[in-house]
Amino acid sequence: MNIRILGGCLRVFSWGAVLVLTGSVLVLLGYLLVKGVPSLGRDLIFGQVNVLDALLLKKRVFDGLFPAIAGTLSVVLLSVGLAIPVGVCAGIYMSEFATVLQQRVFGLMFDILAGIPSIVIGLFGFSGAIFIHRYISNDFRPCLAVSVAALAFLVLPYITRTTQASMQGLSIQTRQAALALGATRVQNIFYVLLPQSFSGILSGIILAIGRCAEDTAVIMLTGVVATAGIPGSLLGSYEALPFYIYYISSQYTDAEELMSGYGAAIILLGVCAVLFILAFLIKRRLAGPAGPAPGRFHG
Amino acid sequence: MDKPVKIRVENLTFSYHQTPVFENVNLAFEAHAITAITGPSGRGKSTFLTVLNRLWESQPFAEMQGKVWILLDGQWVDIYGKTLSKPDLRRKVGMVFQTPNPLPMSIWKNMAFPLKLTGISDKSLIEEKISAALRQAFLWDEVKDRLHDSAFGLSGGQQQRLCIARALVSQPEILLLDEPTSSLDAGAASVIEDLLVRLKERCTLIVVSHYLDQVSRIADTALKLQARGFLQT
Amino acid sequence: MTRVFQKTARIVFFLSAAASAMAAALVFGFLLVFGFPLIGGGEFFSLLTRPWSPGQGLYGFLPMITGTAAISFLSIVFALPLSLGTVCFMGGLGPARISRLVDGFVRFMTGIPTVIYGFLGIFLLVPVVRTLFTSAGSGMCILSASLMLSLLVSPTMIIFFKDGFDSVDVRYIQAADALGADSVQRLIYVILPEAWPGIVTGIIMGLGRAMGDTLIALMIAGNAVHVPGSILDSARTLTSHIALVSASDYDSLAFKSIFACGLTLYVLNAFAVIAVRRLGGKRGPV
Repeated sequence: MNIRILGGCLRVFSWGAVLVLTGSVLVLLGYLLVKGVPSLGRDLIFGQVNVLDALLLKKRVFDGLFPAIAGTLSVVLLSVGLAIPVGVCAGIYMSEFATVLQQRVFGLMFDILAGIPSIVIGLFGFSGAIFIHRYISNDFRPCLAVSVAALAFLVLPYITRTTQASMQGLSIQTRQAALALGATRVQNIFYVLLPQSFSGILSGIILAIGRCAEDTAVIMLTGVVATAGIPGSLLGSYEALPFYIYYISSQYTDAEELMSGYGAAIILLGVCAVLFILAFLIKRRLAGPAGPAPGRFHG
Repeated sequence: MDKPVKIRVENLTFSYHQTPVFENVNLAFEAHAITAITGPSGRGKSTFLTVLNRLWESQPFAEMQGKVWILLDGQWVDIYGKTLSKPDLRRKVGMVFQTPNPLPMSIWKNMAFPLKLTGISDKSLIEEKISAALRQAFLWDEVKDRLHDSAFGLSGGQQQRLCIARALVSQPEILLLDEPTSSLDAGAASVIEDLLVRLKERCTLIVVSHYLDQVSRIADTALKLQARGFLQT
Repeated sequence: MTRVFQKTARIVFFLSAAASAMAAALVFGFLLVFGFPLIGGGEFFSLLTRPWSPGQGLYGFLPMITGTAAISFLSIVFALPLSLGTVCFMGGLGPARISRLVDGFVRFMTGIPTVIYGFLGIFLLVPVVRTLFTSAGSGMCILSASLMLSLLVSPTMIIFFKDGFDSVDVRYIQAADALGADSVQRLIYVILPEAWPGIVTGIIMGLGRAMGDTLIALMIAGNAVHVPGSILDSARTLTSHIALVSASDYDSLAFKSIFACGLTLYVLNAFAVIAVRRLGGKRGPV
């Protein structure tokens, strides 16, 4: 019987696909861990400098990842901090006030923005820097501020979409409860709808942080450099972990430098994994511990 | 009045999210009769039907203990045992749902679907089985000229009869019906009621219904589902 | 809260939404203005087909177009069977418990930084390719980049495929189950015929992800500027070309050509977004 044979083949095929896919990723990550774990340690991050001196910015770290980690941290916090207020407000508008036409037009624009390759966003930031250099200040060049602005563009649609989706997902009962007690629309948003959709928005923000932290294409056009030390000003250059990994992969001069590349990759992967798990846990708590209540089983 | 028994349920306990839906239920269902299951909604009437064809197993967080025996070809078969596969069981124990659920295909393909599943490819046999089942479901005259139209073009009552006919194609010995008329108007419902009474000679029917008048019209036995158990009425 | 506050809040919400929406247009505008001398006067389309030869004043980006096309197409060729197989596994062919693990793992994969794929590509995959295919030269070639990219695009495709599977009406699945369909039959006769918009959406999104990625191609495709002749040739993608900009003369045509690359990527992405919206698939952060 044809369907039997086809079914058997399909089963074998699907097992094969799962094994190949998960297997190759596990081999890659396993290789990274095996090669890189020995490099992990205090020296990887702080080099020969005393930890306290480095953290208090008393001494500059030259042969460690500390400046890159600090750079990534600042660029992520600043860009997400910039994108959150705008993105959440935009999401609220889309969910609560937008007309059908606005939903369509704005929605299309958000989708296009979300899909723009990150290198093109980087190019946009770069051209913005040229624009300022040419028409406003001759001293201006790609710097931390440009990266922050460009990365904010990159994650804005994520935050808007997750805010919109979590607010639209609220039940009609939740929406009407406060309104029936005489709340205005804006009161309803601030006192009921936003708090209720908080975990949904939060998990979106965490994913946005992950996206910022791993992005290399945007920052390589907008001001990241291989050695800059701790970021000192918004108008200065800075270092970042993903760029360091990219840079080391082609510019390493000795085995020790390469090892620090593996170390940086493990740290970056760890950061992304932690963010991912965090977002996952928040989302799962949102869905409730065990699905619908027993009484709702149909019939 | 010792009538032949078709289904035996022994010590059935069913729980959902660790909350028991019914506990220690023992029941016997008469062959070639209509047994109605009534009771307030949300007490697990539909769940009980799915215990008889193991459809509940796709529901997460559900658990069952106990045994269900069905008399097939003169032999008592434990439907949760190894002798009968799930697909085979479901061919012997057909089910019709609350809202008609034709597949997104033509009337003909819907009817041929169960045969396709068993790998029957003899054209004339397929044709014969389909027309027989459609006739049994009082649907043949209404659809014979548009068998290749989409099943969604039929009225609600016709769709439900199509679903009954589709279940009949595999010549089931038992037919489970979950409030089969609740989505239909009175006219369409009464056609289906007549149909169910006629089907008694072919199969054993178990109908979930919360219309007491419907129960009194068609049922030979009625069971009332109460908190965690059944009451014969 | 006063009435003024109500009004202000509403205006702030609107301005945020409008500004976010305008951001997409702003990016387009900048690319257009900066690339203008190359793009204006109907030059754009002839640029698409011309070779790259700054010495002769030729700034066509045919090599990058073919590089992007070859690498992203090939990565889909590798990723499609993997993704379809995996989603069928999760759609009933595999045990439920393992399926849930696979689902979590696939979602985790979306978070793996692309620079790490590139990094591991250099030190793990490229040497393998170099040893297996002697004609691959250094091993930095279209094949290496596509293999690595297929791992990047698979989770995207799987998630959209799975959305398509999950959007199949439960009643159809119940009908098939109640008629005695086994898991393979349910998949072939009921789910796959209904889930095709999700599958098309997934392929488009995967293609978009492959075209838009920079680091993998930049790090392991070799970046040679010529139209590749085989999958073992080195190639440069549109994205790598932008990343490799080094011209200090902002008015040179070589510099302006990267904006033409950017515009091409932007327009391709916009088409993909519109196509996906037409398919009715919902698109959002993955």
